[in-house]
Amino acid sequence: MPAPPSNQEKISRRFAILPQRGTVSVFEILLFLACAGTVVVGLSPSLNDVVLLTFLFAGLALAWNIAGGYAGLISFGHAAFFGVGAYTSTVLSLRYGITPWIGIWCGALLAATFGAALALICARLRGPFFILSTLAFAEVVRIGALNWASLTGGPEGLSILPVPSLVNMVFSSKTAYAALMLGYLVTVYAITKSLETSRYGYYLFAIRDDEDAANAAGINPLLGRTAAMALSAALTGIGGSLFAQYFLYLDPTFMISPELSFQFALLPAVGGLGTAIGPVLGSFLITPLSELLRSYLGSSAAGLHLVIYSAGLIVVMLYFPGGLAAALNKLSRWKPFS
Amino acid sequence: MSALLEVRGICRAFDSLMAVKEVSFDVEEGELLGLIGPNGAGKSTLFNLIAGVLPPTSGQIVFAGQTITGWKPYQVARVGVARTFQIPKPYRQLSVIENVMLTAFRHERTLAGARKFAEATLADVGLADYSGASVNTLTVGLLKRLEVARALAMRPKLVLFDEIMAGLTPAEVGVMTAFVAGLPARGITVVWVEHVLYAIMKTADRIIVLNRGEIIAAGLPSVMARDPAVVKAYLGEEFILA
Repeated sequence: MPAPPSNQEKISRRFAILPQRGTVSVFEILLFLACAGTVVVGLSPSLNDVVLLTFLFAGLALAWNIAGGYAGLISFGHAAFFGVGAYTSTVLSLRYGITPWIGIWCGALLAATFGAALALICARLRGPFFILSTLAFAEVVRIGALNWASLTGGPEGLSILPVPSLVNMVFSSKTAYAALMLGYLVTVYAITKSLETSRYGYYLFAIRDDEDAANAAGINPLLGRTAAMALSAALTGIGGSLFAQYFLYLDPTFMISPELSFQFALLPAVGGLGTAIGPVLGSFLITPLSELLRSYLGSSAAGLHLVIYSAGLIVVMLYFPGGLAAALNKLSRWKPFS
Repeated sequence: MSALLEVRGICRAFDSLMAVKEVSFDVEEGELLGLIGPNGAGKSTLFNLIAGVLPPTSGQIVFAGQTITGWKPYQVARVGVARTFQIPKPYRQLSVIENVMLTAFRHERTLAGARKFAEATLADVGLADYSGASVNTLTVGLLKRLEVARALAMRPKLVLFDEIMAGLTPAEVGVMTAFVAGLPARGITVVWVEHVLYAIMKTADRIIVLNRGEIIAAGLPSVMARDPAVVKAYLGEEFILA
């Protein structure tokens, strides 16, 4: 067929400054160096807590984004996978003396099984029905964990002995934890980036954008959704184990709370769904903000930190619906004096 | 020689309504078969039965010697049956070329290979200049071309076209008709559901006319245009006399 005229502008760039699919950009390298530098130099002990939580939640946001951003499986139940990972590695360590270095992978595997089960149970549900089912699924897991006291310690929770040892993955310095969390973040980021440029990643985009068209293209939508949820759950489970090793205490009410599930979904939403850099930016903005607001305002004006936090979220959602990642791209094209 | 696609006594009921009743026909390899009929004749249902979107109530579908009755759409696609959608269903967040790459993945396992094949397919349908564009910038006519490109990028043995002319300007219809007419020579068998009759009557080797879920006539396009049963189904009783 003869081509109709096109007004599409040709964009060619030799190397990428801002993050984009398929390449590692200058921005990403600089951001990584800044993170690594922060770990090596170290901040004050209280700020170190914020830094390592920021890394951990960036990794968790990326893990959520694989299901929610790429496959379109918006989940408000990821705290279940977080809890499954944390409990698996902790129970294996406390009761059977298996080092968390191995237990983490067992937790990932079990979380993946839970994720696959959730995707299969909700196979026919879409939109709000799917979202509500994920919320209910996590509640079932939470109540189950609360009542299975012989395994999980019930409402009293489980404590990991605060004795530093490499074998038990317990460290005395916050720097070690920060390095561990940064390692987790970089790993999940690398998985995300490679998924973005693989056939399987594209299958997920297709299922998210139009399931009928994906089906007609020879893609099995149920298999795609199940695999995406399992991968996302496994990575979330690993994050849960790491959190348990840092916090040294876990109880179902916190580990599998809906608040935590919302947090996992919120960070990528603020940062930019379906992008690799978005969830990272979301966590880098929101996690320190919520931690610092809580520590500064928590005692003098209880609850005020939530007001400020929520107001900030509303502003981001209103003015940057594509998230921080989209805002970053917009900024790069901003020419105020031309 | 057996036919590429054999449809044998296929029925589909929606509650008490028989949308497709005992429909049987063969499609030979390299044939361009037109499927026409007034609104509600069961064309889309028949189309969806072949593509695996709906399971038939009874009957059998055989493709390339393999019974594909009751298969899922992705399974039907994997043995070489591509389809387009009447209302285009592009992947909204992907670029034009990525839309086409997703079907090219059937035979090109690498991203680079799929991109190369998709580029050639886009050039084929005249969308080369839009390869990097967002699908949201495309007009209806261009979206229909994208549907065709996606189907062809799968390198199918059989392609099912569902009203690819609807919403096109007369000039675009002419271009698209000539393109479709050239497909059998490239080894692609075509089953084509269409409402724009002048396009399909000019192009098809054979026409099957459906009405109320049944085949009422089948044969050469020139013969079908004068068939009293066909004219009656489309226009009503009194036009036969005129």
